[in-house]
Amino acid sequence: MLRNSLLILLILGLAAIMYNLYAEFTPKEKLGFVAEHYANNGKDEVGAANLVTAVVVTYRGLDTLGEVSILFLTAAIIGFFLKTKSSNNHALPKVKRYSEILGTGAKILVPIIVLLGTYVFINGHLTPGGGFQGGAIIASAFVLMLIALPRPAINHRVLSIIESLSGVSFVIIGLLGIVLAGGFLDNQIIGLGTFGTILSAGTVPIIYILVGLKVGTELTGIIRNLKEIQNEE
Amino acid sequence: MQNIGIEQISLAVGFILLLLGIWGMISQKNILKIIVSFTIFETGINVILVAIGYIRNKTAPILDSPELQTDTAEKIVDPLPQALVLTSIVIGLGVTALLLVYALKMYKQKKTLLINDYKDTKW
Amino acid sequence: MVNPIYIIAVFLGIAFSIGLLRKNTETFAGILSLLTLGFASIVSAQWFYSFVTADIETFQIFTTAFKPPFSINLMMGKDEALFTLMINAIGLFGGLYMFDKLKKAGKNSFIALLMLIMGLNVVVMTRDLFNLFVFLEISSIAVAGLVILTQTTKSISAGFKYMIATGIIAGILLIGIAFIYSYTGTLNIDFILVQNLEATKGISIAVFFIMIAIVLELKPFPANGWGLDVYSSAQSGVGALLSSAYATASIYVLMKLLPLAPENLQFFIATIGIITFVFSNLMALKQDNPKRMLGYSSVAQIGLLTAVIGLSSVIGSYTYFIVISILISHFLAKAGLFWISGIIKQDSIKNWSILRTNKILLVLFGIFIFSLAGLPPFPSFFGKWELVMQLAETKNFIWIFAILIGSFFEIVFMFRWLGYAIKLDMPNNEKIKVKLHQLIPLLFFAATTFIAGYYISSEHKYASLINYLPLAVALGFAFIEFLPAFIKNTLAIAAMAAYYYFNYESYTDIQGVFAAIFIIGGILTLIAGYAYKGKRQGFYPFALMMFAGLIGLVEATTTLEFFFAWELMTIGSYFLILRGKKSIKHALSYMLFSMGGAYLILAGFGMAAIGKSDISLNILSNVELYAPWIFGLLAIGFMTKTASIGLHIWLPGAHAEAEADVSPMVSAILLKAGVFGLIMLFLAMGEQFIGNISFAYILSWVAVITALMGNLMAAFQEDAKKLLAYSSIGALGYVLFGLSLMSHLGWLTAVSFSVTHFMFKALLFLAIGGVVWRVKTKDMYKMGGLIKKMPFSFISVLIGIIVLAGVPPLTGFAGKWLFFQAVVEKQWFLQGAILFFSGIITFLYCFRLIHTIFLGQPKDEHRNIKEAPFWILVPQYLILLVIMLFSMLPNSLLKPIGEMLLPYFPNGAITWDGQMATTALGYWNGKIVMFIVIGIFAVVLAWLLFMNRKAKKVKQFNIGYAAERPFLPETTHFAYNFFAPYQKAVGFLVAPGITNFWQRVDEGVHSVSDKFTKIYNGNGQSYLIHIVAFILVIYLISFGGF
Repeated sequence: MLRNSLLILLILGLAAIMYNLYAEFTPKEKLGFVAEHYANNGKDEVGAANLVTAVVVTYRGLDTLGEVSILFLTAAIIGFFLKTKSSNNHALPKVKRYSEILGTGAKILVPIIVLLGTYVFINGHLTPGGGFQGGAIIASAFVLMLIALPRPAINHRVLSIIESLSGVSFVIIGLLGIVLAGGFLDNQIIGLGTFGTILSAGTVPIIYILVGLKVGTELTGIIRNLKEIQNEE
Repeated sequence: MQNIGIEQISLAVGFILLLLGIWGMISQKNILKIIVSFTIFETGINVILVAIGYIRNKTAPILDSPELQTDTAEKIVDPLPQALVLTSIVIGLGVTALLLVYALKMYKQKKTLLINDYKDTKW
Repeated sequence: MVNPIYIIAVFLGIAFSIGLLRKNTETFAGILSLLTLGFASIVSAQWFYSFVTADIETFQIFTTAFKPPFSINLMMGKDEALFTLMINAIGLFGGLYMFDKLKKAGKNSFIALLMLIMGLNVVVMTRDLFNLFVFLEISSIAVAGLVILTQTTKSISAGFKYMIATGIIAGILLIGIAFIYSYTGTLNIDFILVQNLEATKGISIAVFFIMIAIVLELKPFPANGWGLDVYSSAQSGVGALLSSAYATASIYVLMKLLPLAPENLQFFIATIGIITFVFSNLMALKQDNPKRMLGYSSVAQIGLLTAVIGLSSVIGSYTYFIVISILISHFLAKAGLFWISGIIKQDSIKNWSILRTNKILLVLFGIFIFSLAGLPPFPSFFGKWELVMQLAETKNFIWIFAILIGSFFEIVFMFRWLGYAIKLDMPNNEKIKVKLHQLIPLLFFAATTFIAGYYISSEHKYASLINYLPLAVALGFAFIEFLPAFIKNTLAIAAMAAYYYFNYESYTDIQGVFAAIFIIGGILTLIAGYAYKGKRQGFYPFALMMFAGLIGLVEATTTLEFFFAWELMTIGSYFLILRGKKSIKHALSYMLFSMGGAYLILAGFGMAAIGKSDISLNILSNVELYAPWIFGLLAIGFMTKTASIGLHIWLPGAHAEAEADVSPMVSAILLKAGVFGLIMLFLAMGEQFIGNISFAYILSWVAVITALMGNLMAAFQEDAKKLLAYSSIGALGYVLFGLSLMSHLGWLTAVSFSVTHFMFKALLFLAIGGVVWRVKTKDMYKMGGLIKKMPFSFISVLIGIIVLAGVPPLTGFAGKWLFFQAVVEKQWFLQGAILFFSGIITFLYCFRLIHTIFLGQPKDEHRNIKEAPFWILVPQYLILLVIMLFSMLPNSLLKPIGEMLLPYFPNGAITWDGQMATTALGYWNGKIVMFIVIGIFAVVLAWLLFMNRKAKKVKQFNIGYAAERPFLPETTHFAYNFFAPYQKAVGFLVAPGITNFWQRVDEGVHSVSDKFTKIYNGNGQSYLIHIVAFILVIYLISFGGF
């Protein structure tokens, strides 16, 4: 009990600090100077209707590259973490009983979900959504397959090739920015196009497609790895 | 104090989630519960981030209608924290996935999920 | 110049491409990764080189076409170039070192390595807070991945603890960043800094969260269990990356963000740092596992750097120099030590003796230990020096104390480890095999340590003046270790003789006397080295290093040079002492007392330099502030070397266990370094007072007790060399007393006695060393009757003890005569009486020495024994010649010394008339005394011969005439426990009270260390609680409430 009361004291202490932050916080009336710049110039500088996307892909493109790297890194670590012990174990996963309804439903749903995901990342610069969201949606389709189907036709090799190629392409597009435009990750390698249409905002949609593919394959890969380790039991 | 707005409510919610998460992490013995607490902690931070970018009576920073495209700065909420939240969520996802794999591996080693049982390195 | 953004792009591009490779392409992936790391290293190196040589402008790297603060920008300045160079280099060499392990774990492990280094590069270069957070996360996830390279229960649970702890820390950082953005409207560090943040509570808390998160990343005590567990359970290669790469980047982040913190928070950060430094080093004392010990040490070093950075507003413009020099040492040495521990694969430092099976590794290990311990000529030596100087200048004495105590703990565990590796018995016959890809990084880092040391010292205003020639010569001997001993011996003697020949004219006065003791004495003792066969590896570099240090002491003109030389001498002599049998304990205690003394000297020098524009040794003569303190610190520091009572316990063992020619080096020569220091100190500072009591008066009592105790203990020894060692303690008491008299005669005695003591102690140690060489034991009761077997050694010992006992006609008497004159003059009769009494004890042990060893019955096993080796006799007889000369012509020694002292003590000088010396109290003529004594001796001898002409020679076993029964067990030897009656009377005085005292200090410190390590109970949740509590406590302290 002593331990718990000490912990409660700790949390109360932290809460007191946090309360200070909360009490000091005054709701904003207007944008800060950086955000104001984005609001006023984002349309002309980046050409993406979704300003969040403009910030994510262009202004703070390096962060996004970092994010992609984190997912990639996590997937890679999980890959070798789970692999090292099971590499000598090539036994096929035991086929458990699968629900027929679930399987059929999945077969119908998967293409639709993939389509939705694709829509979300292709339109990431126009509407809410983007590469990460779209990628996550696509991954959910594969998760459904993994759960619902006995032997899902997911080729690990294809996944990792898509994953790597989209990553490399992201970097190459970034580098092209130095050569052809204003700097690393600049989106104006190609024209900005017409504001508000699919083909606008320069390379933003391309990058978001790549991110979508990459995130989708990475998340699928992680889940697949976990599934495999579970099957070994 | 004038009327409490949605940003203050969500800020408070964010802080509460964050504290709940920390509480869980330091009091729960089960590794899975610790990881769940960690995600609650992460979520709390994300909510705080969003709350910080919110400005009352402004709309989302998506310029899909012509009237939003003039004097934009007067009409939208801050897009930057939303971008940060996106990054933060993805990082949180990566960390959580890795933690879960760790938990799995730890369980395979000792067949227990109590954090007290993993004290092999100490002093 | 290559745009640094390509570093990131290439890292990411290659990392992503590795995913494309098929299975079984690990080698290719590995080579690709190393090439990438090599490319990054070259780019950084190129930038760094340009910044150093061409003084180019800082390079701004923009991402996208927009300027900051609207888009993320990076920066490449001189600092960034250096830090990324370090990070990329450790990535490259660490990757090379771990190549086979990574390969085994699969190609994805190379991805983790690349991502770690890439993340750290951006962390160093970025100017955007949130970007910093993202790439810090990448790096820490990569570390978590590398930790499980070998999957054991330990490494997996440590990785989990690490992940969850860094998760909380990152969350705290993110909250701070979020609120900073909310208050400033930007995430760009430079734009935040120019805004002059108001000190509202909200902003303060946001800044606090950012800073506390950065500090937590640096693993502060006690919230660092998660980091320590990773150090001890991860692979050594990963430990190296964590300690060198990750910590280096984190330190840079702290430097970068520190301006955000208000002054009081900076101060708290510094306090956290210094507490971490002291406590982590303290806890490292109890460690047996090398990796965990290195972990504690890493945490400690980073703590020290945190403290320095936190104090940057105090230290001022020197911060950069200090941080870089300490960091570079840590960076190179810690990586090197982790790597070596990965090759040794022993979980207990007690098994590290197998390191001896590989000489190269052993040498590298030594280099890294020295570099880490902040000894010259490595970078951190200069860093710590400057740090103490600056802290003293600003009168932050408590900080100096903390830094020195922490450094002292560090010395303890580092040198215990080194001692074990060099001397402990090997656990088995296993041989260490090093693969080339593991050796290359080690060699490269070791070489860089030297280069960095040289570079750092050339950047320092005064360090650049140090004369490196003697040290270079000493190190040069390391490269000719393959030659036989006699060639190296000749070279060493030639080098010293040449050095003396070219420089002796530049030594004046007292310097000249000590230069002669050090160098000529050195040459004499080196002659004995011809007696050794084989290669005698590991002797010459260190012997010469010791002499280089001694020469440096004499030549020093600045306090830095003096301190440098002092440490050099300590290092050299430490290894010489370590060469002896059963020397582990003694060498360590020698090192500890020496370093403890050195730190006091350092502090004293620091305080002396307050308010002075330079650090010339002359500043000691016009100290304005804290004069008694400075005097006391320096005096105690020097007295550790003269082994004054209380600080003497290292000496007997160290001197007695040493080799035949090392004992005279360390006893007859090395002790004089302390005397030289004291003389220099007295001459510069004159008499100092605490209240009304003069330091000289206190010293006189210390000296008297030292003399008495030294002699008493000498009388009760069974071990011949220990007897001589204790006798040295006593003799140095005399010297100290002479100095404390602060009069012409007193000093004349002290200085001339230093010379005489050199001669007779070298003579005796060589002679006894020669005997021990033959009889293979140091216990006197196991010897006896050696006069016929070793007549030359007997004569040496005879003459030696006559000088030692101060009996006429030899030169020792002149010393004693002057000595009591000086006492009478000063009217310190009580001290004089005690000294007189201890003089009598001298006779006791002198008698025992010669009687037990050379007279009495020869032992059966010594029947066929030969005279001591020729080359050990040679220096003895050279010394004998000089003794005879000085005894006949005392003014050849005393007169010049007296004249040297005249400027300092114009009153009470001796007047000389030929060999006749006249003082206020009487006169003495060396030549006539010599003739008279010889005359008396001749008469007595003639009378004895005449009276005993009927005496009959008998065989040894003619029981009727023998004084003892032969063939009894040793313990009934009459010489065993020779002075038992005296021991009964005064033995209580020599009860090992002081040794017990130090032992209790030692045990006490270790048990405190043990208590503290218990907070790291291995439970990941406790570590989280530590982190939360740490945040709360630091918040409460720095805000003074909620």
